[in-house]
Amino acid sequence: MIPELGNFALYIAFGFSLLLSILPFIGLRKSNMGLMQTAPNLAVGLFVFTLFAFLCLVFAFVTDDFTVLNVAQNSNSALPVQYKFAASFGSHEGSFLLWLLMQSGWACAVAVWSKSLPTTMRTRVLMVIGWICVGFYAYIITVSNPFDRTLPFFPVDGADLNPLLQDIGMIIHPPLLYMGYVGMSICFSFAIAALLSGDLDSTWAKWSRPWTAVAWGFLTLGITIGSWWAYSELGWGGWWFWDPVENASLMPWLVATALLHSLAVAEKRNAFKSWTVFLAIASFSLSLLGTFLVRSGVIVSVHAFATDPARGVFILVLLAIVIGGSLLLYSLKAGLIKSVGKFSIFSRESSLWLNNVFLVAATIIVLLGTLLPLVHKEIGLGTISIGEPFFNQMFTYLIVPFALLIGIAPHIRWKQDKPNKFVATPLIICLASVALSYLWLVVEFGEVKGLAWLSTSLFWWIILFTAVELVKTTQKVRLTKLPLSHFAMVLGHVGLAFVIAGVGLTSQYSTERDVKMFVGGSESFSGFDFKFVKLQDVKGPNYDGWAAQIDITQQGQEVSTLLAEKRFYPVQRNTMTEAAIDATFFRDIYISLGEQLPDKGWALRLHLKPYVRWFWFGGIVVAFAGALIVADKRYRQQKSSVRVRSSAAAEIV
Amino acid sequence: MKYKLSLFLPLFIFVILVGFLLKGLFSDPRQRDSAVVGKSFPEFQLPDLMNEEKVHSLQTLRGEKVLLNVWGTWCITCKYELPFLTKIKTEYGVKVVGIYYDQNHAPEFGQFANIPQIQVEVKQLLAQLGDPYQFHILDLDRTLSLDLGVTGAPETFLMDSNGVIKAHHMGDVNERVWRDKLAPIWNEMQ
Repeated sequence: MIPELGNFALYIAFGFSLLLSILPFIGLRKSNMGLMQTAPNLAVGLFVFTLFAFLCLVFAFVTDDFTVLNVAQNSNSALPVQYKFAASFGSHEGSFLLWLLMQSGWACAVAVWSKSLPTTMRTRVLMVIGWICVGFYAYIITVSNPFDRTLPFFPVDGADLNPLLQDIGMIIHPPLLYMGYVGMSICFSFAIAALLSGDLDSTWAKWSRPWTAVAWGFLTLGITIGSWWAYSELGWGGWWFWDPVENASLMPWLVATALLHSLAVAEKRNAFKSWTVFLAIASFSLSLLGTFLVRSGVIVSVHAFATDPARGVFILVLLAIVIGGSLLLYSLKAGLIKSVGKFSIFSRESSLWLNNVFLVAATIIVLLGTLLPLVHKEIGLGTISIGEPFFNQMFTYLIVPFALLIGIAPHIRWKQDKPNKFVATPLIICLASVALSYLWLVVEFGEVKGLAWLSTSLFWWIILFTAVELVKTTQKVRLTKLPLSHFAMVLGHVGLAFVIAGVGLTSQYSTERDVKMFVGGSESFSGFDFKFVKLQDVKGPNYDGWAAQIDITQQGQEVSTLLAEKRFYPVQRNTMTEAAIDATFFRDIYISLGEQLPDKGWALRLHLKPYVRWFWFGGIVVAFAGALIVADKRYRQQKSSVRVRSSAAAEIV
Repeated sequence: MKYKLSLFLPLFIFVILVGFLLKGLFSDPRQRDSAVVGKSFPEFQLPDLMNEEKVHSLQTLRGEKVLLNVWGTWCITCKYELPFLTKIKTEYGVKVVGIYYDQNHAPEFGQFANIPQIQVEVKQLLAQLGDPYQFHILDLDRTLSLDLGVTGAPETFLMDSNGVIKAHHMGDVNERVWRDKLAPIWNEMQ
């Protein structure tokens, strides 16, 4: 009964999306205020019914309703309840419903918090969201219905959730990431609405900037947490794989980062206007492309869902209409946009233009690396594979000028500045960065590796420049009077500095060793002593296993006691390695338990990963910058509602 | 209204991309092209499975087109294709030669294949499901399989009378695979 209600609610939501795409359109055509006013109400209705459908699915999962195909395939009665909840978006169908929940949630948020917008603009934005929704809801009710039944022959128990997904990461990573992906549809809708109306002055940039910032913050957090999850769950200590699906999330992030910067120029200086519209379209288009890649089976990936060509064709058609249509609209209308803001070659504008060039170049690299194998094969040149070395090398090249720019750009004035002002300070900071990082590496690691030296130098370069900038600014404006968006910039840049240092240090100084240990035996590795104290049985709710208790000491001082587990999940007949991690801000000790060897010894892999936390710490700091942009007073007044700030900040934190 | 041509560039690129994605949708991303097709069959000197005294080499294979089938009694899928291979042998007169691949043989770990036992198992299985093979080449150390780029069993190769590999199929040979992929090549072959 409940699944039928959910199914029914989905159909009603589809109806709402149809109305949302048609009624406001007619209203705008006929200048009928009444019809225009329906848009926010329809958006709220869309959200309410989608939320109801989602809750019905969650209910089916939590109550083990195995008459629902989706539940039978992805859950099990022994599954702990929090993973039953996560399983509701662990499958293709369920995750798409989550996607729709987010999409309608964003639509509802726009309806509620855009009252200060001119009615026509607000109507247009909601109408564009309605157009997108029609496609998505049609998809879910025709080829991807999460409420399909197994009746009349339903199984006694379910096939269980993939053990890899039975982790706290599964509960938080997909919703955050989807918030980001789908959130890109809001700035996209603003851009399309602006193109449709022809009102392409800087106001649309001002309106869409906080929405972009929130979506971008969620995306940043989603990617960061995804990386941490892979690290802690997959058991081999990697935190970024350049897997097609990771690339799919990185591309919209790179473009959205470019968009955030170019929106600032469009809003403040009335420049880059047509380019900004393009970035807004591109960021959502790449989100959609990412979805298509994960769900169609076009590309081999660790994340792939079960694939079905019918679904692939449907999403591709959707993709062609949404992206193709918006690019066509762009190519027809963008020529009319005049960027009036003039600036000289050495100015804040041109440095932000360079920022965009680097970010878009990075996007193109990722796009090429992801799709080139497909293209190569389809034009009959055989199979190739593009892997980590390509991406790592390209990103190393790109990050150097990019980081140098991040340091200097905030010091350059808008419109025009004198290059000769930028000789002494950069020189001092450059020398200081190189020297500081050299000292750091020598003292901590005893040897200086080139790439690590480079990354830590860039870290200091950004940190020192940002500090100088903050000091200079506070000489003019009191710290408490400084707009929050200024702090957002500071945090965003500092966060990235931490990411750069973390990546450089952990990739250069990580060590690992495979050892064979007997119960009671000891090994030393990288200055730590590991004692295999005992092996105990572990009995989980839906798994059995062993845990090796390892005591870690450093020069006789107790450091930590870790339990490295090997779990066996009987329903899916899967063995999982639960890595044991002792984490501090400066290093991780990471132990994964391998197989038992014929002579009763155990294979263990010990990793020491210095500064690996900096990568995620930096990511979280960057995401927090997104929250600060929204909290900025200018947008708050414009929204005439304090709720925006508190709720958005709460969601991001 | 004046249109700027450069603004159409993203749309143009996107349209091309969609073309590739559509094409990619209907092809298997896991499919790998074989590296040995078009090359001549590797040289080998290997004993017969049933009679270890007898030695097969490339010379004994040449002169006639032949279907070589990598298989083992441990391989479930191989059992499924035995009846079909027997059928194409009797119906189309295809010469089928087995390359026997043993899974357990690992001298470096002190494990040796039990040849007499394998011979018994093979005889039993073929009596049960049909025997398409003229003879079996015993590739105990997997040197030939390695040269052929074999990744698992069953795999099938078509070799022409000059000793050139014309086709390499991974997975079982069934009605569909034979009709769509292998038969056209076989019928063209010398």
